[in-house]
Amino acid sequence: MSARVHAAGLGVRFDFDRQQRVVSPTLRRLRRRGATLWGLHDVDLDVGPGEGVALIGPSGSGKTSLLRAIAGILPADAGALEVRHRVGSMLAVEGGLLGALTGRENARSLCVLAGLTPAQARSGATELSERSRLGTAFDRPVATYSEGMRARLGFAIAESAQPDVLVLDEIFEALDHEYRQVVEEHARDLRARGGIVLVAGHDHEALGRICERAVALRDGRIVADGPFAEVVSAYRGGA
Amino acid sequence: MRHGTLRRSRDVLLALALSDFRVRYGRGRLRIVKWLLDPVAALGVYLLLVALVLDRPGAAPGLSIACAVVPFQLVMMTAVNALRCIESRRTILLNLAIPRGLLPLASTVTESLAFATALLMPFAMMAIYGVPLTVSVLWLIPALAITILLAAAIAYPAALLGLWLPELSTFFVSVVRALFFLAPGLVAYDTISGDGRGLLPINPLTGLFETYRAALFYGRAPAAWELLVPTGAALLILALTVPIFRREQPHLAKIVTGGR
Repeated sequence: MSARVHAAGLGVRFDFDRQQRVVSPTLRRLRRRGATLWGLHDVDLDVGPGEGVALIGPSGSGKTSLLRAIAGILPADAGALEVRHRVGSMLAVEGGLLGALTGRENARSLCVLAGLTPAQARSGATELSERSRLGTAFDRPVATYSEGMRARLGFAIAESAQPDVLVLDEIFEALDHEYRQVVEEHARDLRARGGIVLVAGHDHEALGRICERAVALRDGRIVADGPFAEVVSAYRGGA
Repeated sequence: MRHGTLRRSRDVLLALALSDFRVRYGRGRLRIVKWLLDPVAALGVYLLLVALVLDRPGAAPGLSIACAVVPFQLVMMTAVNALRCIESRRTILLNLAIPRGLLPLASTVTESLAFATALLMPFAMMAIYGVPLTVSVLWLIPALAITILLAAAIAYPAALLGLWLPELSTFFVSVVRALFFLAPGLVAYDTISGDGRGLLPINPLTGLFETYRAALFYGRAPAAWELLVPTGAALLILALTVPIFRREQPHLAKIVTGGR
């Protein structure tokens, strides 16, 4: 495994119309233009095999946009982004879950969307049920789940695609103490195998347990990048 | 396109369609009831309108109407589904990098699955009116293919409209519904007279409805234009809208985030 994330001058732009709705480039040409906001601006980041990087910063600083760009969800409007090998993502507690479907149905569907074959998704459902520790709730509609149960299922699905790069956004906040340990163990195990873990959130204590490096963002730009304790300390001092 | 890419696209398409199908149509016995009731209700309304309210003459009006209502149901339901195909998968789009160009096609597959039971309606009507089954029923195969192609063609502009101007969704549905009434939906093409008759074949639904009638009602091969007009219209719409949707699809997540 030689996972790598490399961003050079990365920018992600949001164009708004005059009603403050985000518009696509095609629609931007047809409508009278409103404001333009760079969600990410001139981001340089290099993450190598075995690294765990925490993204910290105030809400709206660009953490989620950076993770979404790395996961291939948002396109790069400026600069270049290279992500080597398979990405597993959990970028919201819902994690792509559909409330009307059961945990099992969601798992089968999302595992296929994440890159498994339908046969792999079917055969892996029982193991995924055990890993999520949902018990009989696995066959109940997800709409009946608590936030923590959704986070467990979402994480188990993200893990089942056996990613080389795992990106997690603010999931610790939704998890109970017991399952946090499971996530932390998985993250450490992935790093030990040469994978990459990128995780954003406000629970710095939890982030510090799986990341030795931190990147601080503000207004879509990287303002600090270095050892976790130093960056967090500087961020807290300056926040 | 490589075999692996095609297989992956097929897997993603089915995963999207099946999950959407479960969300929209539920599960268990109630789903079957809903499947059966949808086309029966639509057919029943038009049948009452033609046979009782308008008192139009003609043989086997139920079968004639079923030949129009059944394919129209697929086109209409696909349009409605596709209008929300991006918003309804918001959580997926914001969490996974999936082949987003398949979303309108997934709407077509979902509604095609639901459409399967509606196909029983024309055969039920044939039995009720004593219309014999002939070898022309084989024309139902190209008719079905054209219906699905036309539904897929409507799905792409519908998805774009739902993305760009969601406030015009109701207007779009009204336009599609108007196409039904501007085609020989309630009465067969042969029974229509007047100045407007010559213009009806321009509407792709005219050829589609008449193809079903040829296969199931008249027991003959459909005329060439009845097959070619809807096929050509579908291909033209796809040629115009698929490239636009492909250009838009990298930005779908950006739009559904609302810039947050």
